[in-house]
Amino acid sequence: MIETRDLSVNFGPAQAVRGVDLTITPGARIGIVGESGSGKSMMGLALMGMTPDAATVTGSIRIDGRDMADAGESDWRALRARRVAMIFQEPMAALNPLRRIGDTVAEPLIIHENLSRDAARARALDLFQEVGLPDPEARLRQFPHEISGGQRQRVLIALALACSPDLLIADEPTTALDANVAQRVTELLIELSGQRNMALMFISHDLTAVARATTELMVFYGGTVVEQGPTERVLHAPRHPYTKGLLAARPRPEGLRQGGVRKRLPTIPGTVPPLDRLPPGCRFAGRCPVELPHCAATRPPMVDGAACHLLAGDRA
Amino acid sequence: MRRLPANLLIGGVLVALVVGFAALSLVWTPHPEGLLNIRGKFAPPSATYWLGTDQLGRDLVTQLMAGARNSMTVALVAVLLGGSIGTLLGLLASAIGGWVEDLVMRFADISFAFPTLLFAIMLAAVFGPSLQNAVLAIAFINIPVFARVSRAAANQIWTREYVFAARAAGMGRFAISRDHILPNIAAPVIVQATIEFAVAILAEAALSYLGLGAQPPASSWGRMLSEAQTLLYLAPQLAIWPGLCIVAAVLGFGLLGDGLRDITDPRLARER
Repeated sequence: MIETRDLSVNFGPAQAVRGVDLTITPGARIGIVGESGSGKSMMGLALMGMTPDAATVTGSIRIDGRDMADAGESDWRALRARRVAMIFQEPMAALNPLRRIGDTVAEPLIIHENLSRDAARARALDLFQEVGLPDPEARLRQFPHEISGGQRQRVLIALALACSPDLLIADEPTTALDANVAQRVTELLIELSGQRNMALMFISHDLTAVARATTELMVFYGGTVVEQGPTERVLHAPRHPYTKGLLAARPRPEGLRQGGVRKRLPTIPGTVPPLDRLPPGCRFAGRCPVELPHCAATRPPMVDGAACHLLAGDRA
Repeated sequence: MRRLPANLLIGGVLVALVVGFAALSLVWTPHPEGLLNIRGKFAPPSATYWLGTDQLGRDLVTQLMAGARNSMTVALVAVLLGGSIGTLLGLLASAIGGWVEDLVMRFADISFAFPTLLFAIMLAAVFGPSLQNAVLAIAFINIPVFARVSRAAANQIWTREYVFAARAAGMGRFAISRDHILPNIAAPVIVQATIEFAVAILAEAALSYLGLGAQPPASSWGRMLSEAQTLLYLAPQLAIWPGLCIVAAVLGFGLLGDGLRDITDPRLARER
C-alpha cells in the first residue's frame, strides 16, 4: 500500500506538483491525465524517489507504512523494482543499445534477489513468456535494435516486473507506439495487474487508453489534482470546468459534422502559464469559463471528487 | 559497404608493419640480438647484413626489430596502466560527482602541468634511470588524459534514458557504471588509447635518447639515435633508420587513432 499526503515537488519558486493526496491499494488501476507540464510525470518520479536533484519534495510518502520523508538514495534503491517499478515512454531510448536484452532484464534479479546469472536468465525467460514476447528463448540473446517498438516495450515491462513490484508506474507507455500495438500493450498491462494483484499507475494524455486501462482517474492541471474519481464517472460526468473543457476538446467523429456543417473543435482558451506564474489559489483561474472573483486567491476544497470553488457552493 | 578513410588504411598498414616486426623479433631475428662483430663494424648493406652493421658490428635490422619490440612493450604497458587507472578515475568521478569529481579533475589539471620529460627526469633522479621508471612516468601522464576523456563521455551517457531506467530498476551507480557506462564510452577511450600509443612511443624514444629509458645492452630506437649522433658524418644511416622507424610508428598510430575516431564519431565525420 502506497500513500501520499499533501505531496509537493518544488523547483525553487515553481511548484511542479502541489498538495496531492493519493492512496494506492493492491491491484488498483489509477489513471493520471493532464497536459505536458501538468506535473503528472513528476508525481510518478516522486513515488520512485527519482525526482531531479534540483527538486525538493515535501509532504509525506508512505510505502508499506514506512515514511519516506528522510529516505536517502540507498533506501529508495532498495524499494525500486521490488515495491515500485516504472516503464517509460520511449522504449528504444530506455534500453542500452550495447546490452543483450536478456542481460538487461536479468540485472535487477541479480542485484535484488541475489540470483546467479543462470538463474536470473531463466527467470528472464519466464518473464518474456509472461509479457507475450514471441520466441522468448531467442530474444534473450538479442540486442534492442533487433526487435520492434512494441516488443521493446514488452521487454521493459518484463524488466519492471522482474522483482514483482506492488506498483507499476507506466509513464506514457503507449505514446511512442502505433495505435494497434498501443492497444495490445495496454491490454497486457491490465492483464498483468489482475494476475499479479499489482497496482498500476497509468500516466497518459491519451483519454481513450486511460478509459480502457484504469478504474480510478486523477486529472492534473498545473501540478494539482483538479478532479478525481472512478474513471467511468469522471469521463462521462465530469464536474470540474477543466475536465469538461478537456473532454469537449476531444475530436469525435460525430462532432465533426452536424447537419452537413463542419463544426469547429472546441478548445480551452489561453495556455497553461509557466509553473512559477500559476495563480496561488485555483490553478485554473484565468482560463476558467465559470470563474468566481476569489478563485485565483484561495485554494479550492476537494468536494465530491472535484476541486472547484463553484462546485463547493462557495460563492462568498 | 562504406569506404574506409585513407588515414585509417595508411595508419593500419604502418601499425601492422611495426607490430609485425616487434612480434617477429620474439621468435626470429636475422642475427642473434646484441651479437658483436668488431671486425665487421660499419659494414655496408649486404646479403648477410641487410642494412649493414653499427659501430660495434651489430646487425642493424636485428637492432631495429628489437627496438620495435621495446617500443611496443613500453607503449603497451604504459598506456594500459595509465589508461585503466585514468578511465577508472573518470568513471568514478562521473558516477559520484560533487567534490570527488572536482578533486579528480583538479588532480588532472595539475598533472597536465608536468611535462612528461620533466616528470621522467624527476623519477630518474629519485629512483635511478631505468626502463621501468620510464614506463611509470609515461603511464602517469596518461592518467589525467584518460580521466578527462572518460569522465566527459561518461557524463554524457549518464543522461541517457536507459541509465534512468537502470536506476528505476534499482541499480546503484557503481553497477550502472560497470554495466551501462563503461561499454558505451569504450569507443572514445579506445580511440584515445591509440593516439596515446603514438605519444608513448615518442616519449620512450626521447627518454631513451636522453639515457633515462632503456639501458644498455637493451635495444631502443631512441638509444640507437643518441649513439649514432656522434657518428653522424661517418655513418648517417645509423641515425636515419631508427629515425624512420620512430616516424613510421608514431605516424601509424596517430593516423590509426584519427581514422578510428572518424568512423566511431559520426559528428566529426560530418564536419569534414
